[in-house]
Amino acid sequence: MTDFSIIGKSVALIDSAGKTTGQGKYADDLSLPGMLIGKILHSPYPHALIKKIDSSRAEALEGVIAVVTGPDAPNKYGILPVGHDETALAVEKVRYVGDNVACVVAISESIAEQALDLIQVDYELLPAWFDPEDSMKAEKDWIHPQRPNNIEKDYHHVFGDPEKGFAESDLVLENRYLAGEVTHAAMEPHSTLAAFEPDPQTGKPGRLTVWSSTQVPYYLQHKLSIVLEMPMSQIRVIKPLVGGGFGGKSEVIPLEIIAAVAARKAKAPVKITYTREEVFWAHRGRPRTIIDLKTGVKKDGRITSVAARVVQDGGAYCSYGVVTILYSGALLGALYDIPNIRYDGYRVLTNKPACGAMRGHGTVNVRFAFESQLDEIANRLGIDSAVIRRRNLLKPPCITVNNLRVQSYGLPECIEKVIERSGWMKRKGRMLPGRGLGLACSHYVSGAANSIIRSDMPHSTVNIKIDRDGGVVVYTGASDIGQGSDTMVAQIVAEVLGISLGRIKIIAADTDLTPIDIGSYSSRVTFMNGNASLRAAENVKTKILAAAAQKMNCSPEDIVMRHDMLWKRGTPEPHGKGAEAVQILEKVDTPRGNVQEVSGRVEGQILRGSLQQKRKEEGPKDRMSFEEAVVSAIDFSGALTGTGSYAPPKDARGGAFKGAGVGPSPAYSYSAQVAEVSVDEDTGEVTVHKVWAAHDCGRALNPVSVEGQVIGSVWMGMGQALQEEMVWKDGLLMNPGLLEYKSPSSAESPEVETIIVESVDPEGPFGAKEASEGSLAATIPAIANAIHDAVGVRLREAPFTPERVLAAIRARKQAAKALEITRGADPSAPKVFREHGGSLWYKGKGPERHPDDPARKNGDKALAGD
Amino acid sequence: MIPTQFEYVAAKSLDEALSLLGKHKDDAKLLAGGHSLIPAMKLRLAQPQVLIDISRIKDLSYIREEKGQVRIGSMTTHYQIESSDLLRRICPLLPETATHLGDVQVRNKGTIGGSLAHSDPAADWPAAVLALDAEIVVAGPKGERAIKADKFFVDLLTTALEQGEILREVRFNTPQGTVGQSYVKVRHPASGFAVVGVAVNLSVNGGKCQSAGVGITGVAPKAYRASGVEKALQGNALDAKTLSVAAAHASDGVDANTDLFASGEYRRHLAEVYTRRALGTAVSRAK
Ligand SMILES: Cc1cc2nc3c(=O)[nH]c(=O)nc-3n(C[C@H](O)[C@H](O)[C@H](O)COP(=O)(O)OP(=O)(O)OC[C@H]3O[C@@H](n4cnc5c(N)ncnc54)[C@H](O)[C@@H]3O)c2cc1C
Repeated sequence: MTDFSIIGKSVALIDSAGKTTGQGKYADDLSLPGMLIGKILHSPYPHALIKKIDSSRAEALEGVIAVVTGPDAPNKYGILPVGHDETALAVEKVRYVGDNVACVVAISESIAEQALDLIQVDYELLPAWFDPEDSMKAEKDWIHPQRPNNIEKDYHHVFGDPEKGFAESDLVLENRYLAGEVTHAAMEPHSTLAAFEPDPQTGKPGRLTVWSSTQVPYYLQHKLSIVLEMPMSQIRVIKPLVGGGFGGKSEVIPLEIIAAVAARKAKAPVKITYTREEVFWAHRGRPRTIIDLKTGVKKDGRITSVAARVVQDGGAYCSYGVVTILYSGALLGALYDIPNIRYDGYRVLTNKPACGAMRGHGTVNVRFAFESQLDEIANRLGIDSAVIRRRNLLKPPCITVNNLRVQSYGLPECIEKVIERSGWMKRKGRMLPGRGLGLACSHYVSGAANSIIRSDMPHSTVNIKIDRDGGVVVYTGASDIGQGSDTMVAQIVAEVLGISLGRIKIIAADTDLTPIDIGSYSSRVTFMNGNASLRAAENVKTKILAAAAQKMNCSPEDIVMRHDMLWKRGTPEPHGKGAEAVQILEKVDTPRGNVQEVSGRVEGQILRGSLQQKRKEEGPKDRMSFEEAVVSAIDFSGALTGTGSYAPPKDARGGAFKGAGVGPSPAYSYSAQVAEVSVDEDTGEVTVHKVWAAHDCGRALNPVSVEGQVIGSVWMGMGQALQEEMVWKDGLLMNPGLLEYKSPSSAESPEVETIIVESVDPEGPFGAKEASEGSLAATIPAIANAIHDAVGVRLREAPFTPERVLAAIRARKQAAKALEITRGADPSAPKVFREHGGSLWYKGKGPERHPDDPARKNGDKALAGD
Repeated sequence: MIPTQFEYVAAKSLDEALSLLGKHKDDAKLLAGGHSLIPAMKLRLAQPQVLIDISRIKDLSYIREEKGQVRIGSMTTHYQIESSDLLRRICPLLPETATHLGDVQVRNKGTIGGSLAHSDPAADWPAAVLALDAEIVVAGPKGERAIKADKFFVDLLTTALEQGEILREVRFNTPQGTVGQSYVKVRHPASGFAVVGVAVNLSVNGGKCQSAGVGITGVAPKAYRASGVEKALQGNALDAKTLSVAAAHASDGVDANTDLFASGEYRRHLAEVYTRRALGTAVSRAK
């Protein structure tokens, strides 16, 4: 065990006091003098041309300051450079029920709301597409004219020789899996406040400041600059406290742009906060997914080949769609050793709110299919579910067949741990009727090795400034959205400098103050911003040590920094209490407009005077306090600052084929879970009693935080497994509220036993990898497999609602009767099974393509097109 | 969403409330706990111009037993019923039903009268008052009248209450002899309302069913008495077979609801399974 002072200790998140006392400020808590409220008019139709908007009656209403419509800001934007297909407000046409048509700015919310009813919009209805398999056959009335057949993107990847792999296998299973559409349901609804400073020369709106509930302040700054046609340097984005994102705030959400456009037109600050219904329309959640999965294995369970065809119902805009469909294929790799893979992925547009990134982005639904099918294969072969997984482990360090580099690999230990703790060997198959255990594994990236903005700049940079009294200010672009990144940064800096947490102040996610970090998504922050923080701290540490070495008359390498002290190696260790004195940090909450107040401390001056006096009297010494060392360094260099940045190494950036950019990561987290469930055979109701969740996060920098993330992932997975599903009727969302759409919370939680596995990654900060997403994907198949263990039915469609479970139980009873009559065939002998009619797409060309389809026009080259 | 503008008046007595209601007629809505009305107003499904708050009228909040009858004032909260020692002793069905209702906040504010007057097809109280064969006493401009529970619920969100009337009291005969009661419920995972809720009130003599009250909510547009189940029990020995046969009648003659959570067919199935279970529990408690 390495001897750390604060790394690996469970510390309270440094912003928790503000949150638990209600003093912390979220975007909707902010207010400015003269602030107006914006309310958005949404489309009642799924697909229609806007013929005319008459807002004169709304504008005439007393208290209404402005009405904004599409032509006020028609520039297109989108989170991906390849998917700029959104406008602030609809231009010419609406594409889903809930699409943004106009925004009223008024002196109060109720007046704004009243005015919405006075806007007259004439629509001409167009045929609408709701089902992806219909939509991709569309000959006309495409949702975006530049996307023939309503196909946003399709990829066809072949790694190794899948056909040969199947030919060599002893058993092939092929099944169709369906996963319903789910949404993030973060506690905080989106909210944005935008304010222009009048330009002193012209009086026109000048610099813009936007406070927004975002995971990606720098992307927001960039998209605002595109839409408003302003230089980025004139735009400041500040992220206040954020009440959860889960991906729902990881791209620019319409209200963020609309608020700024409206503030410019109204010449006053404008705040917009979504209602819960609007949050559902903004969506960007996990798409409904159709997965045709085929796995071939040898008799001993070794996987020889995998083929997957994935169709995602992406909604009306690209959003992160291209990335999602690529992750679904790429993350077939890097968990197990699979020698041959074929992947056909289709991201399809439909007239529904756009899907985007959601916790476990791209991997969750395919993992549900894969882990369910692997379990079924194990059953058919008579191999234990844990054993079949062990037989397919990777042997890192390695590069997978689809070019993913794997180094640290805690999966074997995760499996061992959950098997042991759940009593798997003793209990599996020996439980009361209706009760069962299920096992499943998953993994996730610790950030993408290639950023979505194609550029060579580092993915994260951190600055540090140290005051004369030893106060350390860290400027990080990382967006704490509740996951605890501010605390992570503080811990890393404290560890490197050997100081207590209480000295550290975090200034975060303010584009004017903090160096660029591309955002809180794809679980990149601990790995990338953590590494940048580590390097910034080491950078400043070098300067402190250089100054201290002069004073101590030794070389910098001979000095130890710890317990807020510096001493010569070999001399007695001072009795510092650094690690024990973990304090809740004082932290500047938003608005973070005035950091100047933070610096310029008086104590520093006093300290300096007295120190100079002392120094004259003393000769070289064996030890000094952190403050003394800091003052020496500042005397030496004027200011004490450090900087550090992180860019993923070249050899982790994946292959050269089209679409290879998504999937590679500098490190992968690993998870294994066992779920214990009972199933009411009379009603199909499923109860999850306990989940054992082991997660390999490399090194747990803050174990309590890791546990929180794992437990949260289990709840979210459980919600998707058992009850969450967005239900549509002709493009209308039938459950746009938390009274109909329910995510499990602490109140519904089963017991979750988290087991932290530390594989210590060679490149992670102190060995850390991601902890927030990887666990989720294992929960759904673990529950599905446990249901099978309990009542012998395979649920291939999520969520496993009581009605679906009951239908499966009844079908099994019917089938059991049928089997008794037929007999004959020996079901234990390996042979090729085909279920769901065995759609033989993988040998053919895939679905029929339209002649205008760009993939078809460009022939083979574009098949993998990006 | 936020509600449209409205005026608010707190009535101090039943008479004052009646006269305010007479004055504002359809423009007004009575406000009890507000836990059904306010959500409806926020969605603008209800847009009253005047709210007459009757929840502060002391005389409408009580639980007592008099002359063989239990009487509960309409503004009695769910929590008051849940925690009533008197009811736990003489009619545990009601406290048990209350524990299934919403969460602590809802139980602290919501009232039995508000719930019955609202007649939500998935509300819990209607099942219980039906099983108890209760009477609903309403006060109106022309005086009082008592309505049998099975005549009170008319349709989805519709009751026998007429314009200008206020639900004043729920009353029923104190259960006598060897009594077995139970309430079982399949909660909707999000709203917590009943997908199916079954209330049973049995009186048993020598192992045989002397009388049976079975109220079912969540299944149909309104809560109903499962008379087919009751008949199949009457006079029979309460063994597993009888209960199964009886439970099969749980949704006889009913037009079952279909929603996102459960199809009509599945609801019928749940009604049967949960009626069987509710009966089983009630029988086991009849000692
Ligand atoms: C989150 C949540 C969960 C809930 N879960 C459940 C649940 O699981 N089961 C369940 O049964 N209910 C549930 N409810 C509803 C709750 O029980 C309500 O309190 C109840 O249905 C209505 O009672 P109230 O006193 O709040 O009435 P209000 O909302 O004030 O009034 C309801 C309606 O009745 C009318 N009214 C009220 N009092 C009278 C009267 N004396 N005479 C005539 N008309 C009157 C009002 O004008 C209004 O139209 C839930 C509510 C919420 C918000």
